[in-house]
Amino acid sequence: MSAPHILESVAGHDATADTPTAPPSPAVQVAVPTRRRAPLSWSMRIGLAVLVFYCAVALLSLVWTPFDPLSPGVGEGYMPPSREFLLGTDRLGSDILSRIMAGARYDLGITLVAVTIALVVGTILGTIAGYYGGTVDIVISRCVEVFQAFPGLLFAMLVVKAVGPGVLNIILVMSFIGIPDYLRLSRAEIRSRRNWPYAEAARMVGNRSWQVAFRHLLPNSAGPLLAFTSINAAFVALVTASLGFLGLGLDPNTPEWGSMIARGQDGVMTGEWWLSFFPGLAILGMTGAFYLLGDALSDLTDPRRRR
Amino acid sequence: MSDVLLSVENFSGAFRAADGRLTPVLHDVNFALRTGAITAVVGETGSGKSLTALSILGIQPATFVRTSGRILFEGRDLLTLGATALRAIRGRRISMVFQDARAAMNPVFTVGQQLAEVFRLQHGGSRDAAMAKAIDALRRVSIPEPERRARQYPHEFSGGMAQRAMIAMAALICRPTLLILDEPTTGLDVTIQSEIMELIVELGRSAGLTACLITHDLGVVAETCDAVVVMNAGRVVETGTAEAIFTAPQHAYTRKLLAASLLVPA
Repeated sequence: MSAPHILESVAGHDATADTPTAPPSPAVQVAVPTRRRAPLSWSMRIGLAVLVFYCAVALLSLVWTPFDPLSPGVGEGYMPPSREFLLGTDRLGSDILSRIMAGARYDLGITLVAVTIALVVGTILGTIAGYYGGTVDIVISRCVEVFQAFPGLLFAMLVVKAVGPGVLNIILVMSFIGIPDYLRLSRAEIRSRRNWPYAEAARMVGNRSWQVAFRHLLPNSAGPLLAFTSINAAFVALVTASLGFLGLGLDPNTPEWGSMIARGQDGVMTGEWWLSFFPGLAILGMTGAFYLLGDALSDLTDPRRRR
Repeated sequence: MSDVLLSVENFSGAFRAADGRLTPVLHDVNFALRTGAITAVVGETGSGKSLTALSILGIQPATFVRTSGRILFEGRDLLTLGATALRAIRGRRISMVFQDARAAMNPVFTVGQQLAEVFRLQHGGSRDAAMAKAIDALRRVSIPEPERRARQYPHEFSGGMAQRAMIAMAALICRPTLLILDEPTTGLDVTIQSEIMELIVELGRSAGLTACLITHDLGVVAETCDAVVVMNAGRVVETGTAEAIFTAPQHAYTRKLLAASLLVPA
């Protein structure tokens, strides 16, 4: 019934792989070389450098800080920045530099883990909802929208108050706050593309529906998703610090930047500005780096915008 | 008629509106594709030719419903097959060249990656072997510097080159029994059009492919096709060999199409 395949050699297992017209080309045998990369943009470089620096500080704080960040009275209270205490000391005489270094573990760690969980879970749910539509879409979307009924910080405060403090609880709350946004973004992205010719083409050559959704359509949404991820990371970092500032979530003595600002807020009025200023600067640097990175990432993931 | 590969029998269909009302668009469509022949389905925009072709592969719009008839491929009704059985036929037995090749390729993967991925999906094998097949397929459709081109993204291809790559995918990588070409030359330069058609005919002849060419360009049909199906307003108005259609058109609409194409003095 089926026609004989003279073109066996292209798609089949025939030995006559070389066409008579084409000279044997060595490049065919070689694995495809990595594609030329555009030079990284400046915003990308700065954002990356800052985040790498924060990570390095967080790791370093595990083995070394100038003073013990948890013990009070390494100096006297309210000492201004000096050669010995580079960023000064707080009310209890703890070294602020040491506490900021240790705080990177909490603020950066919570942010990265929470954002990763939200990105993965939200995107998977959003892709399923967007591609299959119908009842699946309604069930997933409505369930997740419950979390959006409350403002993010209020929701986090309520939940943390209810389930109790702890790093794990904060991470879970933060990722739950993020999931609906990732879901809505990826759902809209996939929906807008599921009937494009290349989706049809992917179905036409025999891909399963999940392959079309996750392997063909989702990579096209990498730019918007990554851009949003970094903005979301900045938001998560701010809310984490806000919880600390409000005295929720972690033990008040934890060297978390938000709670450090809260501890120092009285000093701002009386001239001891360094108590709140430096933790604030740490938060600013981290959120700024996430914004810069996101901007550059969205450019980099779109082949048409690469040079 | 044992050499019929695919037959569309009394196929009628309609679009279902949101309120459930049906708007009939295809009326008792009948035609057959003979094994090894290139059959053209011609007609103006909106005559139902693309819809019929998409139905063959089961990728018709979701709002389109069949009201009667069947589409037999090797004796099996494609419209009653389940998802798994359809997937086994798509690409492997029947594949399709889309009208806008650049839109039919995924913008975030290189052309080589896409061809290689289709090859692995259908034939398995290692990544490197699949890429070698992809480059080989690009070479066979006369794309210059296939090694370099394989590493480029669809937006770096011209329309004609993209269509060649699409044909490489649909005909050489998929190795189907039946190849459907949905207006493969629309939107291309006239000179490129004839090159693409030559390529299609050459591949069809040398591989013994059965091809179904959907087009509104009668000039293309006259040069390349064995049989012609003329459609108008959702109906097949005339079928016959290319020679018969061009020399002795029976139906008024066919004569009008011919006159409009400037092939035959009106």
